[in-house]
Amino acid sequence: MKISVLLEQRRLGWNELDKMCSSLEGIRFPFQRNGSLVARFSSLYRAACTDLSMAEQYQLPPATVEYLHRLVGRAHGLLYRSSRSTVERWVYYCMVITPQSIFRDICVKVAFIVFFGLFTLSALLAWSEGTFPGYAERILGSDQIEQMENSFNRPLAGNFDQYVAMSGFYIQHNTSIGLQCFALGPLILPSLCALGYNGVVLGASFGYMTRSDVEQGDVFFQFVTAHGVFELTAIALSAAAGLRLGLGIFSTSGLLRMESFRLNAERALPIVLASIAMFFMAAFTEGFISPSPLPYFAKASVAIFSSGLLMYYFVVLGYPTPPIQLALMHNGDNPWREIGGVHATR
Amino acid sequence: MHATDAIDLNAFVTTPENVRFEYRIAGPFRRLPALILDFAVRGILFWILLILMALLGFVVQFSGGIAIMLFLISWFALDWFYGLLFETLWNGQTPGKWLTKVRVISVDGRPINSYQATIRNFLRLADFAPMVSLELFSPDAPPMYVIPTFLVSLLCMTITKRFQRLGDLAAGTMVVVTQRSWVPPHIKFDDPRVESLSGHIPANFRMTTTLAKAIALFVERRARIPNVRRQELAAYIAAPLLQQFNFRDDTSPDLLLCALYYREFIAKDAFLDSHSFSSPPPSSPENRTPENRTQATDSKALSAVTSAPLAAPPLAAAPPVLEPTPRSSSENAPPWKVSP
Repeated sequence: MKISVLLEQRRLGWNELDKMCSSLEGIRFPFQRNGSLVARFSSLYRAACTDLSMAEQYQLPPATVEYLHRLVGRAHGLLYRSSRSTVERWVYYCMVITPQSIFRDICVKVAFIVFFGLFTLSALLAWSEGTFPGYAERILGSDQIEQMENSFNRPLAGNFDQYVAMSGFYIQHNTSIGLQCFALGPLILPSLCALGYNGVVLGASFGYMTRSDVEQGDVFFQFVTAHGVFELTAIALSAAAGLRLGLGIFSTSGLLRMESFRLNAERALPIVLASIAMFFMAAFTEGFISPSPLPYFAKASVAIFSSGLLMYYFVVLGYPTPPIQLALMHNGDNPWREIGGVHATR
Repeated sequence: MHATDAIDLNAFVTTPENVRFEYRIAGPFRRLPALILDFAVRGILFWILLILMALLGFVVQFSGGIAIMLFLISWFALDWFYGLLFETLWNGQTPGKWLTKVRVISVDGRPINSYQATIRNFLRLADFAPMVSLELFSPDAPPMYVIPTFLVSLLCMTITKRFQRLGDLAAGTMVVVTQRSWVPPHIKFDDPRVESLSGHIPANFRMTTTLAKAIALFVERRARIPNVRRQELAAYIAAPLLQQFNFRDDTSPDLLLCALYYREFIAKDAFLDSHSFSSPPPSSPENRTPENRTQATDSKALSAVTSAPLAAPPLAAAPPVLEPTPRSSSENAPPWKVSP
């Protein structure tokens, strides 16, 4: 048989596959509606694959081989897609894998020690005016202190409009900062600096407001009590996720550097997702409860409740499991890492 | 046989069907326009949202607070979830990538999943680093570090094999060019001299694979090359062949290459027994049951990769692919090669 005739014959199948690719490309689950389509599609795809693998023997012209490469690539992309994972697996991921991996993570511990250590230290320094005069002023700047005092001059009050708008602002602003902390993780230093900076500045504000001669202290603590738990934890967590990423580049534990980086990114993701969730909860608390004229004990009980929630999630659910079981969970039951399959068989 | 170690823009993917195919990787100069376009699209989306919200405000009369919250949240979402959502839903493409015809895929060739889209888009900021402050342009500007220099991603792309930025490395993805599938050029020669000249080429002449490839590349492009240039280019290959075939020196080199192409890629036998090609692929999937389907697939032309070499004697007799010499089934003259 002449090559030209062979090409003419094969072209029919290629054209059909090509057309199918074009019509299916925009659809997220292309074979969901039409199961018989997948049989036809995959047989055409296999035929094109064979043609490609035999192209050398058939002595097909290079342009045709090139065309086949593209065609097989397109069809491959349509046929092998990540499939949806079930709700149960996501629940398992959120309620078992995430808290346990966070609880065990050394980076989380380091980030917490750095953040809360600097926070406490800075608060102490700012508070004991007699021993360290001018510390708070130097850290925060007098303008900032004045602004802070002004904003806490009046007793807390607000209306619904302000509450909603402010919670929007906190979602946008604080979560962005948290995500920046995470994103800069591979470069390590920026992430650590952001964490340290936040610890020192927040600590200094807290310390300054605790001084007995600052009158706005009462209102300040009325404001921060409710959302502080979520927000401070979230900052530390997002930086921990960043650190986990950065650590992956340097401490490879025997893997190839790139592979280790990839694996650590996978481990960092639940941490950063937890921190995003916490930023959101903090934003709503900070928007609605913190600026409201509720009595202090109500806000304190919100704080206690949220601490209890965090304790339950990270400590009770995250209580150490044997490493072997954890490894199993990491490898087998991660809904992110669905083995690719054809959708119609979902 | 495969150019695995060649320094080029191709990434090879081996499929479960045991076929290796290649993707063309998109470099920084292809990805920057996509990034800029995405930035523009994000801006436009933002304004559309803003206008919609203003219009909605007239209709529903909701409070200003909710409007501000929606505004801020959509800002946040566009900032951090734009690429993630589009890449998850559009199979690795964002509007900018779609316009510049690139696509994100896993390094193993599979489409990306939501996890990979999340990681590679969250890490965007590290790739933009170091940021330059606005003060660079005017001393009065606030010290906002918002201008990306892309140095990290450029460095990262330079030292990795597949032009991956940090986010790509962490997610195990790469960005490839999605060629619109063009129809392979179908070469037909109107000039009757091509066919007649190909008849005069010695029957025992065999081309090496590289020579065949070079000739094919030339012939497929010759329509776009002016005549004088065609002759000049063709002469490099044709001159030694003219001598070898004892053709007249004033034979057109272009014509000779066309004749060789005709002989090699159009007129030659595809060296397989023809009955395996005789049936074109079935036009409708009439057989739904698994047994029937396998049968249909097996009898179909070319479809069974694994069974073909076992079933067809000429194929089984074929030496491994390492030997590049093509063979034609009709003649049994001793093979001798010509190097261009």
